[in-house]
Amino acid sequence: MWENFAAGSLALFSDPFTIAIFVFGVMGGMLFGAIPGVSMLTLAAILLPFTASLTPAQGVMLFAVIYCTGTYGGAITAILFNIPGAPENAPTAFDGYPMTRQGKSGKAVGAAVLCSAIGGVASALVMMAATEPLANWAIRNIGPPEIFALVFFGLAVASSVGGRSIWKGWMSVLLGLIIATIGQDPVGGINRYNFGFTDLAAGIAFVPAILGFFAVSEIFVQAEKKATGKFDAPKVGMSFPSFLEIWAHRIAVVRSILVGFFCGILPGIGATLAAFMGYGEAVRWSRDKEAFGKGKLEGVISSETANNAATGAAMIPLLALGLPGGALTAMMVAVFQMHDLEPGPLVFYNSPELIWIVFAAMFYANLSILFIGLVETKTILYLLKIPFQFLAPMILLLATIGSYIGRGLVLDVIVMFGAGIIGFLLRRSGYSIPGIVLGIILGKIGEQNFAQGMQMVHYDLLTYFSRPICLILIVAGALTLLAGIYKAVGSSRSTASQ
Amino acid sequence: MIETGVWLIICIIFFAFSFEFNQPIEIYKFGATGWPRVVLLLLLLATIGNFSYMRIHGSAVQKGRVGIADEDVSDTDYGDFGALLKVTGVLGTPFIFAMLLKPVGFYFATPFFIALIIILFGERRVKWVLGITAMIYAVLLGLFMVVLNAPLPQGNMSPFYDYSALILTLNTQLQQMW
Repeated sequence: MWENFAAGSLALFSDPFTIAIFVFGVMGGMLFGAIPGVSMLTLAAILLPFTASLTPAQGVMLFAVIYCTGTYGGAITAILFNIPGAPENAPTAFDGYPMTRQGKSGKAVGAAVLCSAIGGVASALVMMAATEPLANWAIRNIGPPEIFALVFFGLAVASSVGGRSIWKGWMSVLLGLIIATIGQDPVGGINRYNFGFTDLAAGIAFVPAILGFFAVSEIFVQAEKKATGKFDAPKVGMSFPSFLEIWAHRIAVVRSILVGFFCGILPGIGATLAAFMGYGEAVRWSRDKEAFGKGKLEGVISSETANNAATGAAMIPLLALGLPGGALTAMMVAVFQMHDLEPGPLVFYNSPELIWIVFAAMFYANLSILFIGLVETKTILYLLKIPFQFLAPMILLLATIGSYIGRGLVLDVIVMFGAGIIGFLLRRSGYSIPGIVLGIILGKIGEQNFAQGMQMVHYDLLTYFSRPICLILIVAGALTLLAGIYKAVGSSRSTASQ
Repeated sequence: MIETGVWLIICIIFFAFSFEFNQPIEIYKFGATGWPRVVLLLLLLATIGNFSYMRIHGSAVQKGRVGIADEDVSDTDYGDFGALLKVTGVLGTPFIFAMLLKPVGFYFATPFFIALIIILFGERRVKWVLGITAMIYAVLLGLFMVVLNAPLPQGNMSPFYDYSALILTLNTQLQQMW
């Protein structure tokens, strides 16, 4: 492994043009991840045509580096403005933004930098050491029933965080699932809920929906505060977390690495579910559950470690099996195809130099998060000093461009602003925006895998319970769901008896 | 009651429209409607649960819930009509901007949109409104048009389309200079 890694590092750093692409990917991912309104996906969509003029190794490496650094970059806007740069940063905002309100933005961003780097480096090392055996394990043990079970568990976790009650948590998730049914059904390709708009046949693109629900609705919330005289500019806090503070959360870091890696390795699941589950597990195992959502450092640490731990793992099904784990890894498949290559087992034998340049670049990209992130953090925190009336139009326009570029449809911009208004009203009524977004992202994956699983087991649902991983995930999801309902009913009974 | 009513309407509309695509799929027993209808049934059950919870607790936060931001809990009181108008303006302006993108185009509509949002957010100093509008416009064009060559809506109505064409021609000339 180390010889291959050294060879990959040498290939990466011996060519000035490859170095330039690496540096561009690192800076671009961080910048686009950290600009409220656009994300690493916007950058990737813009760059996709240009990768045709690069070598396959340079093209895939560029996207892999953007994936690592962009996942971290999105945490900054989540913490400073309550606008997650990507869905995988949504749980980071739960505690990161309250920390900013309390003047602890430096601690939150510092923890995000450190834990993103730790999660990413750990993931990159495991990826280098065990891509082939892990891919083989996954292909033997993970099928559509397991992926559906994990989606169910993830949605149960998402319903238990955010939302004023368990009911509102579930209603948010179910609304997301219903939105995800718009467009063609994943089995027969039949058009559903297009309401006479032909553009809707392709479904609701999740980038505009995410931007609308997160970025635009947050602008509206701040506008409301300004109009009602309740606007309170966030405080700039420069103190970083100490080594002891991070060390005190070492178990949360290790747990989140494991959760992130497990979620990342499953095709189609990726970093978003990893972040939610990392956060959910942190809440579950904490003795101080009530403090989550009010500015607890462990919330930021768990979410950011888990989502970056998923980045390396998500490359395993992509490179070893040719199965993308999310939108950005799907674009990587397009980069392969532009160069007449197919990701999959043969790549390891036909183009080992490509694989090891990508592995080495991801390792160094995660290290760069640590160094560049810590240097940049103090500058980034000054974003909070920009008056919101000047920041708001910038965010809205970046979101407009971000949602338009993906498919070149004005409808996507309308959908985004519509989602912003709906998100604003739902937030005012205590619903969970991250729950809706996770429902949208996982809806199609869940339906597709449920359908494939049912066909596989000849519509005998009980077979799901004879598969150990599937059984564990379904039971865990059911327990999460029942615990939430029990608490809601118990709370109603105690209020009624009073 | 209103909240529950809205959710019930959503369930009814989506259920009614599900008959539009109620076709069998040869390889899949549950067809195209199976999944959405189960989700709708669960949404209906959750709506009933939420209704009964809200009858007892109102809009209070359930004990032990995590991940709820302060602004998602507070109930805003619009003291005067002006405040309500401002919020409605901020909610409506981006939507109108989005509707205008197709006929008017991004290049023409953007400066007006920026200025309007800045004003709606309470900035009244004319020099600042104009200066920041020009700066944001220049940064966006510089980054997305000049550096990244990103395709943005050009509009389809004259003279707005002509304006977009002029901007793009200037960009091409600028690129050729390099």
